[in-house]
Amino acid sequence: MALVHKLLNITCILRKCPRPSVTSCPVLDTRFAAYCSSSLQKPVAASGKASSQRKPEGNLQGHHQKEDALDITSPEDKPEVNFDKAIKEEINDHFRYLKDEIVNYWLGPEGRPLHEVLLEQAKVVWQFRGKEDLDKWTVTSDKTIGGRSEVFLKMGKNNQSALLYGTLSSEAPQDGESGRSGYCAMISKIPRGPFERKKSYDWSQFNTLYLRVRGDGRPWMVNIREDTDIIQRKSQMYSYFMFTRGGPYWQEVKIPFSKFFFSNQGRIRDAQYQLLLDKISSIGFTLADKVDGPFFLEIDFIGVFTDPTHTEEFAYENSPELNPRLFK
Amino acid sequence: MSWAQAILLARGLSRGWGGICGTVLTGAPFSQVPPQALRSLHCSTATHRPDSSLVPCPPKPPRRPVKALARHEELFRQAPDAAQDKASFVRAVQNFTQHNVHKRGHVDFIYLALRKMREYGVERDLAVYNLLLDIFPKEVFRPRSIIQKIFIHYPRQQECGIAVLEQMENHGVMPNKETEFLLIQIFGRKSYPMLKLVRMKLWFTRFKNINPFPVPRDLPQDPIDLARLALRHMEPNLSARVTIYQMPLPKDATDAADPTEPHIVGIQSPDQQAALARHDPARPIFVEGPFSLWLRDKCVYYHILRADLLPPEEREVEEIPEEWNLYYPMQLDLAYERSGWDDYQFDISEVEEGPVFAICMTGAHDQATLAKWIQGLQETNPALAQIPVVFRLAGSSGELLASSAGLEEPLPPPPPPEGQEEEENSQQRQQQGQS
Repeated sequence: MALVHKLLNITCILRKCPRPSVTSCPVLDTRFAAYCSSSLQKPVAASGKASSQRKPEGNLQGHHQKEDALDITSPEDKPEVNFDKAIKEEINDHFRYLKDEIVNYWLGPEGRPLHEVLLEQAKVVWQFRGKEDLDKWTVTSDKTIGGRSEVFLKMGKNNQSALLYGTLSSEAPQDGESGRSGYCAMISKIPRGPFERKKSYDWSQFNTLYLRVRGDGRPWMVNIREDTDIIQRKSQMYSYFMFTRGGPYWQEVKIPFSKFFFSNQGRIRDAQYQLLLDKISSIGFTLADKVDGPFFLEIDFIGVFTDPTHTEEFAYENSPELNPRLFK
Repeated sequence: MSWAQAILLARGLSRGWGGICGTVLTGAPFSQVPPQALRSLHCSTATHRPDSSLVPCPPKPPRRPVKALARHEELFRQAPDAAQDKASFVRAVQNFTQHNVHKRGHVDFIYLALRKMREYGVERDLAVYNLLLDIFPKEVFRPRSIIQKIFIHYPRQQECGIAVLEQMENHGVMPNKETEFLLIQIFGRKSYPMLKLVRMKLWFTRFKNINPFPVPRDLPQDPIDLARLALRHMEPNLSARVTIYQMPLPKDATDAADPTEPHIVGIQSPDQQAALARHDPARPIFVEGPFSLWLRDKCVYYHILRADLLPPEEREVEEIPEEWNLYYPMQLDLAYERSGWDDYQFDISEVEEGPVFAICMTGAHDQATLAKWIQGLQETNPALAQIPVVFRLAGSSGELLASSAGLEEPLPPPPPPEGQEEEENSQQRQQQGQS
């Protein structure tokens, strides 16, 4: 918590505004926790010392994230822990990142020249070629509500793919309110900019999601969440199913974005509208097919591309019986 | 222990003996005191006598905790030898309606019946769900005035109706016209169960055929048919041939399936045959497995025969044969690109793995069975006799061990594979092939 207070003081000095109330602390707290364990593209000079000092702080607030590879600090590193120095380095890194972003803004979107971005037709968004690629994902299971499913994420053999494996158990937790249980999910972390600003993906020129996976025959569900600045959007998502074939061959799954249906609070809603691609914040894979047993899913990469043969805008019409107000 | 405690203990112990021994034990020192005055700690004052006119002691509670029976559960209790099937379930439901004209407690009964459906094996039977909905009294729960329409009319019953439909949805049962008519009769057209029915009809029809690799709901019981279905499911090449290398012994020959003769079913496509024929005999090929495949709710295991990836310097360059037919192109490369400005390739190098030559499914996952499979493969692939075969069998937890691209074997991933065996048996098989 010292970290948070220090930053609050600094921002107050910079902005000359009254000290924010305590209620905003948890928000900053989670942001710092998320930052401490996510991997940003840092300049190499700062990474060595800052990482060994950042990890102890990550330990204090690291209970938010589950799958971090925290290095066990050896006893001789401990006396070097110095909050002030670490905070200063963090802030310097953030400013450097901000400078990079401003410079990139003049080059073009995301630092690439404009003609390259406009003419792009196939883009790899998430690939799994190293440990740092795994840090961009979190895994959850129904252990959070008291169930018994387990799920783990690790690099596949030869560091060429990611393996999501575990055991699903649909035994309902005996907490008096859940009737059903049994789900596992792998969700991508929201991309962050300098000072933990939330960024989003812009896929407006693409129309199909492309996944190269190797599964075991189980049906998965792909969920896409949009930007979560508006509070109602936190429970809304667009989903579709991904059926794996099983077997030793890699499978290419192409899901057009027009097939995603809208759901809120976990229930499909009557009023359906197409997925708008300009502010996507995260994607996730869920397994909840009510069959107990072990499972695995190997993912090579996830990309988006423009399918020239796909002209459909939205696959689901609204029915006048369920939604008479839309048809007046 | 003082004498009072001893006497009380004796009293307590003698309850079960009908008090006969009690009178003997307490006889001598306490002849003046009437036995009724002394009482055990747990029982009432009355001594246990078979001809006692007083209320007897309550029976001791049984050792295991007895679950409280739900209301109406006695209707589902039947003779121990009766089969739990649709007929007995229907009979239990009809018992309720007959014995209970006013249908008291029908909501509880319907919830109980929904819980019991799985035991009786009728959770996917639409007629049974319609029968359950038939239990509701008709025309009673329909709202008649505006105020009744504003508030949820008879909320418990509507919740119960929704629970029936929700169980139908969980098991993938599509409601029909009879369900719709029943719901209109019971709850009215604007009620929540009716709304859920409309939604079910809409979304079920939309998602009925979205699985590009459909698996039939009733899987075959015979292991060979199941293996054939599973192998066809995995192999995308339609010209692949399924071969049964070994049938299990018929059931009437032995009591149980003979462990030395499990079934072996394999699949191989002509492309894979050609690739195996071209394979260099100096490099070994591996039998890997078992890997798991899920078909609906059944897990089966398969093994694969594959080779490692050739290092880049040994890979042969594909020659494009010259066009010998000027009327039609012999090789068609259909790509999305319209011309030079289109580029639909992803900017990433795909995971490269060695080629897979054949897949098989067996009853047992040990090396002897797989060796028999290799022997069977040799008949269609004579080149296999010269190639050394290495068995890489992991534990039954089977993660997919992707073969390394020509590098040394990396560290085994957690959980470490149990029983990893390797055996070179090229000479052995050559001898077997000759004999």
